[in-house]
Amino acid sequence: MQPTHLTHLTDEQFTDLLLGTSPASVQAHLKACPQCAEEAARVSGAIGSFQQQTRLWAERRAASQPALTSQRQPIFEWLHRPAAWTTAGLAIALTVGISVSVHKSHQQPMHGQQQAAVSQHPVVKQQISAATIKADNELLSAIDGELRADESSSMSAYGLIPSAHGSHSRAPKRVSNE
Amino acid sequence: MQLVLDPDIICCVPGETTLTELDNIEALDRAYRSRLLRFVAYSTGDQDLAESIVQDCLLKAYNARASFRGDCAVYTWLAHIATNLIKDHQRSRKFQFWRTIQKTAPDLSEMSSLLPSSESSPESQILARERAQQVSAVLDTLSVNQRTIFLLRFIEEMDLQEICDATGMQISTVKTHLHRAVKAVRQKLGGKA
Repeated sequence: MQPTHLTHLTDEQFTDLLLGTSPASVQAHLKACPQCAEEAARVSGAIGSFQQQTRLWAERRAASQPALTSQRQPIFEWLHRPAAWTTAGLAIALTVGISVSVHKSHQQPMHGQQQAAVSQHPVVKQQISAATIKADNELLSAIDGELRADESSSMSAYGLIPSAHGSHSRAPKRVSNE
Repeated sequence: MQLVLDPDIICCVPGETTLTELDNIEALDRAYRSRLLRFVAYSTGDQDLAESIVQDCLLKAYNARASFRGDCAVYTWLAHIATNLIKDHQRSRKFQFWRTIQKTAPDLSEMSSLLPSSESSPESQILARERAQQVSAVLDTLSVNQRTIFLLRFIEEMDLQEICDATGMQISTVKTHLHRAVKAVRQKLGGKA
């Protein structure tokens, strides 16, 4: 039966109890108060369970990880091996040799064709340019003539005389080859 | 951020000197990795981050072993380094960001299968698992300092002075954090507080 005259353990007393630093009065209270005793057992049991489970978890987790070692694996260890250097040198020489020979074999038949194309190119460009320029100039002159005719008719309808040096002159700029 | 190890911060109660332990990184790793992992994993709530911190901690301890005077337990010194590393990570903005999206909390259900079956009945094991999960849930609600101190005291079984050495806090501060943490655990486990 719980004695009614006793107050239960305060938080400070409870903390001291868990820390194992509780005074004799708290121990005496626990003997007299089954409610506090049960609570103390429950909390300390829970902490104990947590401690045990976390320990087992950590042990298993730690065991699954690679252990640290003092023997460090040097970075680029292969750099210190003469055989590795020799192999790397041979591989580079072989690769460069093959690529150079392949490049030359592709370049020789192409060389003649390229020269011919280069020599023909200016002629073609010149022919096309001259014909195009002539046609363009004719077309521009025709358009300009039509526009002038339109402007003079619309201005004369309003009784205006077009100025000889109009700011909006649409004189075509002749296209040159340059 | 670079962690600066200042051996003068640690003024421990003279304990056993285990300098040879620090000279051998394999022995250091074997002896302390799991303890550190448990402490850091439950302090940060992130087991992947904990593994990284523990690795850093052991390497830093090994590299700075010359500064260890041997006047406190090796684990206290390691816990001090680990606590600083945890603070370092928690301060960084990257940590704050990544923690929200890829936190990998230690799994208690995974742990339940590890309980020794000979120790108790299946019912007791279920009860123990539930209680442990309750404690774990309470730890999530605590502040970083409260959680760290609770773990050091009740899980790592360090005394108050060792906790002061490991965290660099005053004993009154340690007691205050501990008191609040215990109060929260007591409330969660059906106490009257």
